[in-house]
Amino acid sequence: MPVLLFYLFAALVVGFALAVVLARNPVTSALCLAVSFVGLAALFLSLDAYFIGTLQVLVYAGAVMVLFLFIIMLMDVKAEESSARSRGAQAAGFALAVLLLIEVVSISSALKRSGDTLGQHPISAPLAAKLRQQSGRPLLKGLEADLAKGELPDAKLMGEALFGRHVFHLQLVGLLLVVATVGVVALSRKDGGSLSS
Amino acid sequence: MSVFYSLTLIALAGLALLLLEAFDSKRALRYARDASLGLCLFVALRLLTGNLNCSSEALPSWVSPWLSFDPLAQTFVVLGLVSTALVLALLRIGESYIRQYTLGGSMSEFYAIPMIMAAAIGFMAAARDLVTVFVALELVTVSFYVLVSMARKSALCLEAGVKYLILGAMSTGVLVFGMAWIYGVCGTLEFSGIASALADPQIAKAPALLACGLMIAALGFKVAAAPFHVWVPDVYQGAPLPISAFLSVGSKAAGFVVLCRLLEGFLGAGSVVAAEVRQLLVILGGLTVLLGALPALHQSSVKRLLGFSSVSHAGFMILGLSSVAPGVTGTGLASFYLATYLPMTVLAFTVLTVMRAHEVGDDLSEIRGLSKRSPMLAFCLTVSMACLAGLPLSVGFLGKWLVLLGLAQAGQLAALVIALIAAACGFYYYFRPIVAAYSSSEEPRKAIEVSIPAAVLLVLLCAVVLVLGLYPAPLNGLLQLTGAPAAAALLR
Repeated sequence: MPVLLFYLFAALVVGFALAVVLARNPVTSALCLAVSFVGLAALFLSLDAYFIGTLQVLVYAGAVMVLFLFIIMLMDVKAEESSARSRGAQAAGFALAVLLLIEVVSISSALKRSGDTLGQHPISAPLAAKLRQQSGRPLLKGLEADLAKGELPDAKLMGEALFGRHVFHLQLVGLLLVVATVGVVALSRKDGGSLSS
Repeated sequence: MSVFYSLTLIALAGLALLLLEAFDSKRALRYARDASLGLCLFVALRLLTGNLNCSSEALPSWVSPWLSFDPLAQTFVVLGLVSTALVLALLRIGESYIRQYTLGGSMSEFYAIPMIMAAAIGFMAAARDLVTVFVALELVTVSFYVLVSMARKSALCLEAGVKYLILGAMSTGVLVFGMAWIYGVCGTLEFSGIASALADPQIAKAPALLACGLMIAALGFKVAAAPFHVWVPDVYQGAPLPISAFLSVGSKAAGFVVLCRLLEGFLGAGSVVAAEVRQLLVILGGLTVLLGALPALHQSSVKRLLGFSSVSHAGFMILGLSSVAPGVTGTGLASFYLATYLPMTVLAFTVLTVMRAHEVGDDLSEIRGLSKRSPMLAFCLTVSMACLAGLPLSVGFLGKWLVLLGLAQAGQLAALVIALIAAACGFYYYFRPIVAAYSSSEEPRKAIEVSIPAAVLLVLLCAVVLVLGLYPAPLNGLLQLTGAPAAAALLR
């Protein structure tokens, strides 16, 4: 990916993320967040993470944002009152954010860089296959065929990591979603009505 | 049976409790709730007596890379289980009053969710890497969001729920940001890997410090350390009493076990950031004891007072974590402190819950004349407050004494003075409820009948607190606890 495109998409992500915070109207904020996600998806694509890039558009920019907009419009959230915030708190928050930004930027800029670009380290499917065989983990059938063809089967790799290596975490997240669902149902039902009636 | 399967069984029991609600059989539900309380205690007891298999061979292969039940993990599994059982008992005692504030008088979520959280606290205690920590911590936090706001008909409770949700979500963001920096600096998310990476003198120091700072800030929110403690008084006051008790022991235990393991890495032998992190801990701990103690001086609500007390005690535990006293590890001191803090604070919450179930609020003016209305409640309140203040010969004294001793030996004089001031303040604000309870009130009020289960719980907690104060030997083993990978390797 040309460097110019990277800067373009990075500017898109940061610019619209700022707009999310600064916009007074919640609908504007939500739409800006969607654009920011699209920029992020493009950055993922530039890192050869095609699957995550696609997911970013499908799930976040698509499903999650529609849900956000749906809820905002359903609850009819009015534009924020400008007088509601205290000036002192605003200034303190701004100062803290700037302080953190300076810290992160100065630390990141002091990090040692190798000077290599991603183009100098292309992803090699045969090498990946060899490394995986050395690690002793059994290859999924489809994975082996894809790697032999020289393709990177990133969706399959992710599925394997999620349902193979991290299956314990997946179970815990499942439990978390159950608790969250129970909480939402329990907190949002009408008063007086029991669930069975 | 292995610990892992026991914890899984407890989580499944929580799910089963939720399903039972669908059958609408009041009697079966009651038995099932008692049975789940019994199950928590039973597993804790089996673990304490060494009847559960804690070796890593007993773990299934899909779990063994992520969990290891070393002595530190076992301690916190027991703490998590015991606090869950106590909260379930408190819910039973306070059910009559909590019911008035929940939608449709429903209580089932109150009993089911803590069971799932007990398992999550256990998994977090045994986690070997930050991914497992994060998933388990989120399970605990999301459960707390639900529990805190369950008594929705009370305006204070809704306020507490919203405050906890927003600040909790922010602290999660900080936690993930910190983990990203840790991965960037150390190249691993495993605790043992973090320790060895930080011991490498070639490592970039500034990013490592930023990572440590972010992690400590995020975990500081979970354990209620200043300046991340502002949510504590409001949330403690708004949430139902048993849930406030769970916040002050369960949430603290969850935060501290992760903090202990991380700090073993940050402060480990040869760590490049050890000096700075230790200094940061002393400052954070000093600030926390002070900001917990000073606002507590003029609280008239005992619930809020216990909130600030929880902040102040968190400060003592953080000061303990920074200690370098010989024969006592920082992790061990914090675990010891938490194990002594648990019974005394739950005792205070039990007294408040019994009073609240008899429509007596937690304000000092309402506590007036308590000794006339129920001598037993007044006595229990006195015991718990005296222990929380750290009266000599009480269980609360030992923890504070060891922390102060550690600070003196480490030469941290400023922190020592601040901790002494905070402890002295404690004698004032903890004794106000006692004075109120034994002073006479103007108008005659009717006596409070303590039900038998509540009396049993009160007597039990009082006995534990009093016995441990005079004979703390059973807890001495905790003082040498360490989460270092070396100890974990020995276990295996």
